[in-house]
Amino acid sequence: MGIRIQKKTFSTESVILEMKDLNSSVGAIVTFTGFVRDFYDDKEEKKLEQLELEHYAGMTEKMLLKIELEANTRWILEDIQIIHRVGALLPGDPIVLVAVACKHRGDAFDACHFIIDYLKVEAPFWKKEKTNIGEYWVNDRKEDFLMKDRWGSVDSKKN
Amino acid sequence: MKIKILFFASIREVFDCHEKIVDIKHDENLTPNVLIENFSITEKGPWLTLLNKKKIVRVAINQTLVEWQSPLRDGDELAFLPPITGG
Repeated sequence: MGIRIQKKTFSTESVILEMKDLNSSVGAIVTFTGFVRDFYDDKEEKKLEQLELEHYAGMTEKMLLKIELEANTRWILEDIQIIHRVGALLPGDPIVLVAVACKHRGDAFDACHFIIDYLKVEAPFWKKEKTNIGEYWVNDRKEDFLMKDRWGSVDSKKN
Repeated sequence: MKIKILFFASIREVFDCHEKIVDIKHDENLTPNVLIENFSITEKGPWLTLLNKKKIVRVAINQTLVEWQSPLRDGDELAFLPPITGG
């Protein structure tokens, strides 16, 4: 299992190759890669120039580890790799990678979905959008909490 | 008792500071809730803003998400987390 919080970019392809070579029982790797979505708001003539990502060093790693451990108790996994970038990012840049290696695809799909859903609402990261007409902290989305809730509670179980 | 308080993102900007160590009179019943209510009376300013945002702010003690009514002990690290927006 791996957790990397970093300023520099990453390559999903390289991570897949590393995980594939880990051991011969890896038969499926599912990845989720999140990118900085470029947007242009016609009404406000607003354009994203830069995204700034802040995090709570220490707690972030702790929360991500907790999520990885929970995924390991729910599915039979060979490996999990999480990369999350912090600092200044540009539209189109990759922000987050969740990669899960398993023997079979079913567990890999489910575990990857579970991890990104939990990461979205429990790992302490904050996005600030810097646009041509000003900058502001991004609001959380109700949909993200609903996505997470579909997986049931982690906290009610023994950690 | 000493409590290390951490502020992040929008809350850090309100306080214009990332970290603050407060030394307060020992209180068995101290919780994040009690702490911000007390400071919003004695210190006002950013603490009042934080109190008003309480509904959308989550708290962590020693890097674990907790309730506003969780006990605070000497030496604890308390963090106020505005809405989380990673990924």
